[in-house]
Amino acid sequence: MPPGLDQLQHIVVLMMENRSFDHMLGSLKAVNPAIDGYLASDPFTNPDNNGNAVKPQALAEFQGQLDPDPDHHFPAVDIQIFGGATGAGRVANMQGFVSSYFHQREDVNHSQKILYYFRQSDLPVLTTLALQFAVFNRWFASIPGPTICNRAFAHYGTSFGRVDMNPFDIIAPIKSIYTRLINASPARSAKVYYYDTSSSSMEVANLLQNQTEQFGTYPQFLSDCDKGLLPQYSFVEPNFSDHDSDDGEEVANDQHPDHDVQAGEALIAEVYTHLKHSPLWPNTALLIVYDEHGGIFDHVVPPSCPKDSFQSSQIDPGTNQPFQFDRLGVRVPAILVSPWVKAGTVVSDRVFDHASIPATITKFFLGSYPNVSQREQNAAVFIEPNNGSGNMANNLLSLDVMRNDCPDFQMTE
Amino acid sequence: MIVTFPKPKGVRDPNRPAGSLLLAQVQHLAEAEKGLPPRYQSGIFSHAIQTEGEAAHYIRAVTENIHAAHDDAAAARVRRAPRRRRVIEIAAVADQAAENRFRKKPGPKKSTGKQPAKKKKTTRGKPKS
Repeated sequence: MPPGLDQLQHIVVLMMENRSFDHMLGSLKAVNPAIDGYLASDPFTNPDNNGNAVKPQALAEFQGQLDPDPDHHFPAVDIQIFGGATGAGRVANMQGFVSSYFHQREDVNHSQKILYYFRQSDLPVLTTLALQFAVFNRWFASIPGPTICNRAFAHYGTSFGRVDMNPFDIIAPIKSIYTRLINASPARSAKVYYYDTSSSSMEVANLLQNQTEQFGTYPQFLSDCDKGLLPQYSFVEPNFSDHDSDDGEEVANDQHPDHDVQAGEALIAEVYTHLKHSPLWPNTALLIVYDEHGGIFDHVVPPSCPKDSFQSSQIDPGTNQPFQFDRLGVRVPAILVSPWVKAGTVVSDRVFDHASIPATITKFFLGSYPNVSQREQNAAVFIEPNNGSGNMANNLLSLDVMRNDCPDFQMTE
Repeated sequence: MIVTFPKPKGVRDPNRPAGSLLLAQVQHLAEAEKGLPPRYQSGIFSHAIQTEGEAAHYIRAVTENIHAAHDDAAAARVRRAPRRRRVIEIAAVADQAAENRFRKKPGPKKSTGKQPAKKKKTTRGKPKS
């Protein structure tokens, strides 16, 4: 077996907020043409409300540009993906981002900012990790909708039929990935690390309310990294708000518009740096992924997928059409970091979504597991199981010798 | 390879209006709070929350209360459960029992079926009339 998989004992997922692939990583196509981003010479445009074809521009700003928060609830994302077309036979074309944003402020010039993207030099941390490790060309949000239901897919492999922000009930026999691991025999360890109690978790309804022992804070995560005490699976949540704490003034670092994107860069750098200097570095893989696109443009049409076992009611989606969970949401940035991943890896041949997270963790740590959703059953894994059932052609931790050339980050004034 | 990145220079504003995500989180916590015993209630009116700072204040209160309620319930569960004795403790108890048997401490007399004689009232401590 590849030594990287043999040594792998810990998987960490850091899930950021509301930025699309092209917005954050699209500029990297100019550096590595295998990365399916955006070049100024590409033909992709969106019509504005005056009927003009608008091109994406590398003018994204860290804060203060996407106000109001671009709509990313189910009906708005439906417009963004299908260009406003309704009815049978419509075709997804990614032509509705500008018109969707126009509806929020009725300002044609402002609506064009939804097509702005960052230059590589704007995001030195995220783009370096994307170029130095493995970047996924086809990682999509699980649902063309907002945060809560998309994050549910990362925890459960389904949102139990929800496409909105309301609390949801767990429907038997589906269990969270944490419960699966902790109840296994022999028991595995798993933890959700929220930033602090003022930011808390976005999975309140079931996990925080009923299983408080599965939670830790971000300072505990950093300490667990340093001491080599990480659980086998860690899920890290960023800080979702500007707030005062016992230690001082905290700044939101989730990168949700209109929070500072550079604060998120600093968070990603800190997580990576602590892992890299942890005694567990040879045994750990880090996935950095965004929960959904936040209403911001991407040029890749989300593919259809096999239906889920749960379906939304006719009212829930807000489109007067039931949703069968048979189409993925808009594409998001996703990067796999490990000293066993070859620099410059671009994963293009498979489609991933957040159901890939519990699917990967379950298959890697537990092997086969009976009670998973249809969507999770069909989800691709980003780390192959090391029990003989994995497809080694897809193994991303493929190096024979661990790298000693992984980048370091340093914050400057 | 050392890559530098700038210290964040964004605007920190706890008075920024809370977005739909934070308000949804507040709503979820308000639902969770309904299930808490009265002494763990935050006393904060969640529907009046408008800013990120207010949302964070409420989120912290309810999160800490949920943890406290679970911690207290776990502690009470431990107190209620009969304590399992370790082997050495069981042996110590057996030794103590054997020791007690050899002590010349009069045990309770066997009942003879008669009522025990009533103790005479004493006037000790009482002022003489």
